[in-house]
Amino acid sequence: MTTVIEASGLTKRFGSMTAVDSATFSIEKNTITGLLGRNGAGKTTLMQLLTAQLFASSGSVEVLGASPVENARVLQQVCFIKESQKYPDDYHPRHVFESAPWFFPNWDADFAERLIADFRVPLRRRIKKLSRGQVSAVGVIVGLASRAPITFFDEPYLGLDAVARQVFYDRLLEDYAEHPRTVVLSTHLIDEVSNLLERVLVIDDGRIIVDEDAETLRGRATTVAGAAAAVERFTAGRDVLHTERLGGLATATVSALSVSDRELANEYGLELAPVSLQQLIVRLTTTEPAPSLVEAVPAGSEKRA
Amino acid sequence: MTTTTAAARPADASGYPGGGARVLSVARLHFVNRATVFTVPALILAAIFAVNLIIWAIIYNSVSPQDRGDVSEGLQWSGSTFYIFVYTFVIAVTAINVTFPFALGYGVTRKHFALGTAIALLGLAAVYSVALTVLASIEQVTNGWGFGGKMFTAIYFPANTWYEYLFVYFAYFALFFFTGAFFASVYSRWRIYGLLLSFLGLALVLIATLAIIGAANAWAELFTYLGSLAPLTFVAWSFVPTVIAALAAFAVIRRATPKG
Repeated sequence: MTTVIEASGLTKRFGSMTAVDSATFSIEKNTITGLLGRNGAGKTTLMQLLTAQLFASSGSVEVLGASPVENARVLQQVCFIKESQKYPDDYHPRHVFESAPWFFPNWDADFAERLIADFRVPLRRRIKKLSRGQVSAVGVIVGLASRAPITFFDEPYLGLDAVARQVFYDRLLEDYAEHPRTVVLSTHLIDEVSNLLERVLVIDDGRIIVDEDAETLRGRATTVAGAAAAVERFTAGRDVLHTERLGGLATATVSALSVSDRELANEYGLELAPVSLQQLIVRLTTTEPAPSLVEAVPAGSEKRA
Repeated sequence: MTTTTAAARPADASGYPGGGARVLSVARLHFVNRATVFTVPALILAAIFAVNLIIWAIIYNSVSPQDRGDVSEGLQWSGSTFYIFVYTFVIAVTAINVTFPFALGYGVTRKHFALGTAIALLGLAAVYSVALTVLASIEQVTNGWGFGGKMFTAIYFPANTWYEYLFVYFAYFALFFFTGAFFASVYSRWRIYGLLLSFLGLALVLIATLAIIGAANAWAELFTYLGSLAPLTFVAWSFVPTVIAALAAFAVIRRATPKG
């Protein structure tokens, strides 16, 4: 595997506010990484640092082996689609699709055409007059059709309906299979993308709190459900991320269970269910995350080779 | 961390255009919506010209033939073309405020953006200058569109021949484009406070200059000197602030960041 993005102690301060706090992680070539976190957690700032739109306060970042800052060789292999992307005032979508190929040598015009039809983007209307979803679609189309070796999508589909989002996931996966590239995707709709992601970075309050294989992460926790007394008996002494009670029934989210744990749960007559990625991240980023689980996946943990 | 970083070094950029191509792509980007840079200013110009033409016709027909020369003399104080310079200022400001963050998303470096934008602005200045020069020549040949009117040969354009007009127009357009680019770059980098401070700084420099001239009792000499300059030399001096604005804009935008 080849590392294409490597951040080390990457920090960005705005006055007294630390938006990104010594982030250390790396991203492998030709993978899809989810950058997850709450609003204001630092996702956009982090992406802006990786694409040299912002300058780091301290720490370093290397993209394709070099600092991306004012580095034309690196930046021309990068496409950054952000939710808050501003378009020149009088631009129509056709102006975007006409000019994008000048900057992205891998641009696939046929693919762009197909996407324009898929998303039903009107070409000859001022972008200002488009709906929120249509504006997002313009960005999504550029991000996909540009086939940049590294593509960043920052909340790319604000306002897109469920059908359009599904189109985005489908096209992304299809095209990724044929033209492998590195994709970093930030989103709130974690469950929707959870099958797409190979790696997960979770940022909370500027810090990377999870840097993990998506598969491994999903195995980190299990939900136990059944009679309240049995659940209580089972979870005693374990790391409990979350419990919910409803009358005599209870569910608890606990960290990874061994085979014998599972047998024990069966004996107690409890039902086990995997925790969705979204649930897990909600638990991790809600005020005080269970310390043991965070320790289990330390920030910037060394990758298994 | 791992040994993999070394393998990442030879990130192959073959098949990617060189810097020159990127700069030209940025220049093209400013022209992709031709309505903004050509159609809109042409339409506004046409509207203002039409209004002027009607006024000239009314004046022409209400004045006795022997006074028409005097009227034409008075019409040279026409500021009708001033709007087009204001518009060029606006084009330069939007070229930076809006196109800059947009181009960054396309993976353009600030340096390439600045150079490409400079080429686009110079190109626009050239096209606009040629257009106004053609109109100025027609105005001369037709004796003010048949009514002694003056719009493109107004007193603010101290020229006689077509190439003098071309020179004066180009100098003015360049001045407005690059001062616009300068203020927009300051705004891009330091936002509204930077803009206010740069206005304040400029005002202080201006006042200081006036104070120094006053203290040296040099006003009379200065006016004699300025009066002795050929009008075209005077216009040529505008390239000094133009070039300063362009270089300052370049320096400022190299560290600018997009909003939001």
